[in-house]
Amino acid sequence: MAHKEKSLDNEVNLVPFISLLSVLICSLLLSAVWIQIGAMEVKQSVGGQAQTDSKKNPVVFARFLKDGDVEFRLKDAGKISRKLKIVKLDGIDGKLNIEATASHIGELVKQVPGLNMALIQPNSDSLYENIIKLMDQFRENGVADLGISPL
Amino acid sequence: MLVRESVISETAKESPLLMASTLKPQSGGVGRVMMAGVMLTSLVDAFSILVIYLLVSSSNSGEMLYISKDMVLPDARQTTVLERTTIVKVEDDKYFIEEKEVPAKSLVTTLLDIRETLEKSGDKTKESLTIQADKRSKYSLLNAVILASSHAGFSDIKFAVLAN
Repeated sequence: MAHKEKSLDNEVNLVPFISLLSVLICSLLLSAVWIQIGAMEVKQSVGGQAQTDSKKNPVVFARFLKDGDVEFRLKDAGKISRKLKIVKLDGIDGKLNIEATASHIGELVKQVPGLNMALIQPNSDSLYENIIKLMDQFRENGVADLGISPL
Repeated sequence: MLVRESVISETAKESPLLMASTLKPQSGGVGRVMMAGVMLTSLVDAFSILVIYLLVSSSNSGEMLYISKDMVLPDARQTTVLERTTIVKVEDDKYFIEEKEVPAKSLVTTLLDIRETLEKSGDKTKESLTIQADKRSKYSLLNAVILASSHAGFSDIKFAVLAN
C-alpha cells in the first residue's frame, strides 16, 4: 500500500482567536475605570499625651479665615524672622491662593529645616476643596505629618 | 554573495512578506498568486498585549467607592493608594456609613460598633476611615465625621480625592 505523505505544516486558524480577543477588548474598554482615586491621609490624635513626654518640634498652624484667606503661624521654630512667624495670605474668589501658599510653605521649609508637622484649622465655612489643596501644598513641600482640628 | 553560496541559502526560510507580495512574489513557486495573505500573527500579538494591559488595569483599580453623578471629589497630586477601609460618605447634608444612611447623632455609636467588630476580627485597617465628600462641601458638614471618628478611635483619616 503506497501512502501519500501527509504535510506536517498545519496552520492554526487565527480568525476565531482574533474574534474572541476583539470581544474581550471591547468589553474591557467599556468596563474600565478611567478615574484614578487616591487618598489624602491625616493622622488624628486619639487620647491624651503628657506634655513632658513630647519633644517640641516646629509646627505650623494654618488657620482658615473667610473667603479662602489663610493665616500661617509658626511655633517652636527657634530663632526665625518675625515676618515668617505670622503670615496672612488672601484667597482669590473664595479659593485658596495656591501659588502664594506654595511659595510661602516652601520658604518656611527652607528657613526651618526640621519642619515636618502642620495643623490645619478650618472654620465652619471653609470649603473642603480648599482644605485638600492646602494639605496637598504641605505634602508637596515635604511637610508630611498633617492634622486637622475639629471645630 | 556569501549567503547565496553558503549553506545558509539552503536552510534560510523565505521571507513571508516577499512571499505575500502581489507584484513580485518570491515564494519559489512557478505561478504568481494574486491573493495577498494578511499577516495575522502581529495582529494577535497586539490584541493579546491590549487584553493583558486592560485586565491588569481593571483588576488594580477595584471599585471601592461608589461616586454618584453629582459628586465631584477634590483633586490632589500628593496622594496615597486608596485602601479598603470603613467608608463614610457625606452627600446632600446626609451621612452614609458603608452606603447606609446614619443620622448625625448616631455617627459615634455606629462607628464604635464598627471599630469593635474590626478589632475582634483583627483587621489591619481597624484604625483607618475614609471620608468621601463633594469638593464644594463646607467643613461644618465634615466636622461631625471627624469628631465622631476621633471619639470612636479612628486615628487614621483618609480623604478620598482624585489623583492627578
